[in-house]
Amino acid sequence: MSVVPVTTPAETDVEPPVSLWRDAWHRLRRNRLAVFGLMVVVILAFTAAFGPYLTPYDFLSQDLSARNLAPSMSHLFGTDDLGRDVFSRVVYGTRTAFLVAVVVTFIAVLIGVSLGAMAGFFGGLLDKIVMWLTDMTMSIPNLLLVVVINASLKSPISSWMEGRYLVTLNPIYRETVWVDFLLVFGSMALISWPPYARLVRAQVLSIRSRPYITAAQALGLTNRIILMRYVVPNALGPLIVAVSAGLGTAMVLESAFSFLGVGVNPPTPSWGNMISDGLRVWQHYPHLLAAPAAVLGLASVAFSFLGDGLNDALNPRGAK
Amino acid sequence: MLRYIATRFVVWIPSVLLVMLGVYALAYYGAGDPIKLIFLRAPGDVAYNPERIEAIRESAGLNRPFLVQFGSYIWNLLHGNFGNSLSSGRSVWAMVSAAAPVSFKLALCSVILTAVVAIPLGLIAALNQNTRTDYAILGSALFLWAIPAYVAGPMLMVLLILVLPGSAVPYGWGGIFDVRILLPLFVLSFQPIALIVRQTRAAVIEVLSEDFVRTARAKGVPETMVALRHILRPVLTPVVTQLGLIMITIVNGAIFVELVFGLPGLGRLTVKALTNTDYPVILAVTLIGSFLVMISNLLVDVLYPLLDPRANDIRRSR
Repeated sequence: MSVVPVTTPAETDVEPPVSLWRDAWHRLRRNRLAVFGLMVVVILAFTAAFGPYLTPYDFLSQDLSARNLAPSMSHLFGTDDLGRDVFSRVVYGTRTAFLVAVVVTFIAVLIGVSLGAMAGFFGGLLDKIVMWLTDMTMSIPNLLLVVVINASLKSPISSWMEGRYLVTLNPIYRETVWVDFLLVFGSMALISWPPYARLVRAQVLSIRSRPYITAAQALGLTNRIILMRYVVPNALGPLIVAVSAGLGTAMVLESAFSFLGVGVNPPTPSWGNMISDGLRVWQHYPHLLAAPAAVLGLASVAFSFLGDGLNDALNPRGAK
Repeated sequence: MLRYIATRFVVWIPSVLLVMLGVYALAYYGAGDPIKLIFLRAPGDVAYNPERIEAIRESAGLNRPFLVQFGSYIWNLLHGNFGNSLSSGRSVWAMVSAAAPVSFKLALCSVILTAVVAIPLGLIAALNQNTRTDYAILGSALFLWAIPAYVAGPMLMVLLILVLPGSAVPYGWGGIFDVRILLPLFVLSFQPIALIVRQTRAAVIEVLSEDFVRTARAKGVPETMVALRHILRPVLTPVVTQLGLIMITIVNGAIFVELVFGLPGLGRLTVKALTNTDYPVILAVTLIGSFLVMISNLLVDVLYPLLDPRANDIRRSR
């Protein structure tokens, strides 16, 4: 799971004069906070991909003789009220968090980039409509809206799927995972796209009027070459920065939903629902709260540091 | 100016109507029969008497088409009638007006704390650009920005319980002059502070290279005066524009902070309404939240030309 495509070898190999990425990589390595962020992100990505095969316990296996244990060597983060190993659950939660973050960011970028590019390119009424949509989405308390969507659509969709199952007997309608996917991912993407749309629109507008584009046009380069060689590389830097920050935001958003009880369904461990479970007993078993909260905090901070470092590395002039 | 405010308001109304329509549609199609929602909670067998249900449906106007019901909801809203809560039967207006002061006081304190803490810190960081002080301030701001309220709050409580006896850990609401407000206030302000520190720093660095700063320094104006009069004033403009974003962070953050620290404000009301799928309350809270954000954006637009007269010309040409 390559989350941070800082250097794309294919591009640097084919075009030796393109030193932008190598340049950026050097600047990124000099930034200690960013390197720390990158390391944490890589470790977390590794944990998300392979962690479930490496954990000492299954995330569901209960041991009622070992309930609410404090952290020790056999249970690194202790055990919860059902005797489940908290460390294993946190590791599985990493997978949930990464899955949600990557899928949601992907959908949001897809919507945002296409809308933003169209708005910037065609202008006129389309531009006005897209900008009104982004303004509107950004100016309502979006968290609230998504929670409402999730809370109210979950049960009708589940009962619809249950009905479909009774009619067709197709086991695919029994998988509640799909409800999670559709609702949690869909509604999160619904509020996450506006920043990307704004960014890409601004990029397209500003790049379109740059002298080097005029020069390229005057030299008779085709639109395709102008687009691929000048517009895309120049717009890519800010987008990578936004995506890196967006991954962290999506991760936090997912745990916020799980915290409020409208995220992925309970048997799947998620940092958010572990935190909200831990909040009920924090006075007696602080470790149940501290472990998932600390990991979520670390992940979020790492993405934020990395995004900031990438911003300095890819936009050396500091243009916003 | 008045005309401008009126225009903004007119533009805001369709957006908020659309949002309300969305939430109302979710309630209408998603939640199921409101009568069952009400009476299946109440003791007694009303829900199982079809004739009685039809009678109630008739008298409550719930057999009318969707758009008519939505229209009458908005009409009642305009007359100050928010309807009644499905779970408790109390008037939504009473519930909201009981909870709102807590949230507003907290939010106001949070904005003040943010201004008092963040602007000086951002200024200090920028004046010591690329030194240890700068990195420390910037790093902490980045750190605070990334920590969600429902992580910061519980973690601080866990830290406190390790050093304090359980009963002394702050929990609950005792007004803004009570010690217990400190923890939620700080947790709620973390993200706004981080935002303003970074914004102030960036703005100051930009102003530092302006000619008038160089001139002021060259003619021997003391450094404190330069900072206060020549740097801070132009810097306030971009900082004030963040008010709308701060409002969103506070509205979102209050949901978690009030839940974690047990404050009886709008945030906790929201969470309660969500778990009970209490749509009249959810609709009211969504409306209030979006109104707050709109008002702060409007405030920004009104204040902007006062701080930076050049903005007036741009607006007229728009």
